[in-house]
Amino acid sequence: MPMHPRERLAYSPIEGRPLLKFPKGVRLVIWPVLALEEWDMARPMARMVISPPQGQPMLPDHPNWTWHEYGMRVGFWRMKRMLHDLKINPTVTLNARVCETYPQVAQACADAGWELNAHGYDQVPMHKLDDQKAVIDKSVEVITKFWGRAPRGWFGPGLTQTFDTLDHLSAAGIEYIGDWVLDDEPVTLKTTHKPVVALPYNFELHDIVLMALGHHPSDQMYARVMDHFECLYAESGERPKIMAIAMHPYLSGVPHRINHVHRAFEAVLSRPGVAAWDGAKILDWYKAQA
Amino acid sequence: MNFPKPAVGMLPNDRLDYSAITKRKRLKLPKGARMVVWTITNVEEWDPTQTMPRAVLTPPAGGSPMPDIPNWCWHEYGNRVGFWRLLQVYDDFKIPGVMNINGVAVKAYPDIVKACVDRKWEFIGHGYTQRNMQKVENERADIRKSAEVLEEATGKRPRGWLGPGLTETWETPDILAEEGYDYVADWVLDDQPVWMKTRGKPILNIPYTQECNDVAMMLIQHHKASEFYERAMDQFEQIHKDAKHSARVMAISVHPYIMGAPHRAKYFRKIYEKIRKKRDVLFWTGSQIAD
Repeated sequence: MPMHPRERLAYSPIEGRPLLKFPKGVRLVIWPVLALEEWDMARPMARMVISPPQGQPMLPDHPNWTWHEYGMRVGFWRMKRMLHDLKINPTVTLNARVCETYPQVAQACADAGWELNAHGYDQVPMHKLDDQKAVIDKSVEVITKFWGRAPRGWFGPGLTQTFDTLDHLSAAGIEYIGDWVLDDEPVTLKTTHKPVVALPYNFELHDIVLMALGHHPSDQMYARVMDHFECLYAESGERPKIMAIAMHPYLSGVPHRINHVHRAFEAVLSRPGVAAWDGAKILDWYKAQA
Repeated sequence: MNFPKPAVGMLPNDRLDYSAITKRKRLKLPKGARMVVWTITNVEEWDPTQTMPRAVLTPPAGGSPMPDIPNWCWHEYGNRVGFWRLLQVYDDFKIPGVMNINGVAVKAYPDIVKACVDRKWEFIGHGYTQRNMQKVENERADIRKSAEVLEEATGKRPRGWLGPGLTETWETPDILAEEGYDYVADWVLDDQPVWMKTRGKPILNIPYTQECNDVAMMLIQHHKASEFYERAMDQFEQIHKDAKHSARVMAISVHPYIMGAPHRAKYFRKIYEKIRKKRDVLFWTGSQIAD
């Protein structure tokens, strides 16, 4: 019997909980997340920047496929340089198929020592899969084989889940997810196997929501990050805070946006007590709290 | 209007005649105040087994997935974290709160209810669940149950009502009046309270807003966070000016999952930093306005 989300995690207000503690000198952790996707041309595109004339959906959708492909050919490498210059290691959440179709990209991430996190096999929502468990197992397997290590974390494509997704993830050895954006602190979710930790992710500092869906000007990548950060930074005087920033090469890696992303990272990382950690490191810290 | 009359309930113009705001009897507030600001916080419980009322993120290639866990979580953040951030603003500026809450949310979020009861906020009915009133199976039962749940949790029967998404049927004001509600805020058609006819005793409509409302501004129109402050100030200054000869009411409406997000909360705060100290502005609840 699939579990209701509240059976996995009871409601709890953030105030009045026992305090979590970061290591000395850290008050706020930035969690950079870089998402790499495979858009199968045989399917409707995951996102669209331009709709076809008369709004008629078309298959294949060349304009939007190439828009995404630009991210993998050009945008990713621009972002890689930026992250290198900033000296931060993101969590790379990737459709497992990226290991097969863009091995140069996946290899560059592995060589940089970045954490690989499973993001399904390709960019199809979990609801549309015939055999969810098989796809989860395959995703973990493909990444493990490519990387030589098993991914510890998971993001569903579009953060989608069905009521039993977490049980399959746990059975496949996944220790944490980023799909649940319901808190500023990590929380532990019950599953039918081992518990899974939901790390604090958000749909607000997220280039798809901001740019592809919200149609904000490019400099909102900077302005919103800073507004968000100032609030959490002030609050981190009382409770440790974690702030995720989600990026996709076809959005954050384009020429008119990358500078806004870059200066946002620069600004937040220049503040005392701010560190950038990947998901695995946040998970290990959280597990050591109990 | 040649619209056929509904079998049950009334057309809007049968409840309320058109009236130009400049040609009415003068409305006066105590102590020479020009205007009232009332602030409504909307707390909802979204049922994860149903389609989400709103979404910030659509699935790859679009559609409405079921279940929609990502958007359920996004809303839940508001009640776990965002609400407490907004509450601090109410406390710091001593704003009398109006809690517009779904019946089911009263049980789901007891900590929120307690915090508001402790602060003597006014609770108003917001439907038993976050569903369009036109889709609710039994409207009267829903309206009655909302009142009962609030009475049980707060010790007071709610006097005001704001429908989920401001939705109404032709009959809603009649049922509200019959069920003992004194005022409704679903009709955003004026800067002053207006009486609406019902088949029983009349019900008061208090000015509400879809304009200084975070769902419309942030979620539907995709404005940047600071626009909430900018628009509220523009709205405030104009209403203050307009209220020279007769009192007016301004509403500000927020949802913890939207304005309670870290990058937005400060713009909510900034509004009160700017207007709370104005001598000729009252900060009231809906009931105070109605009285």
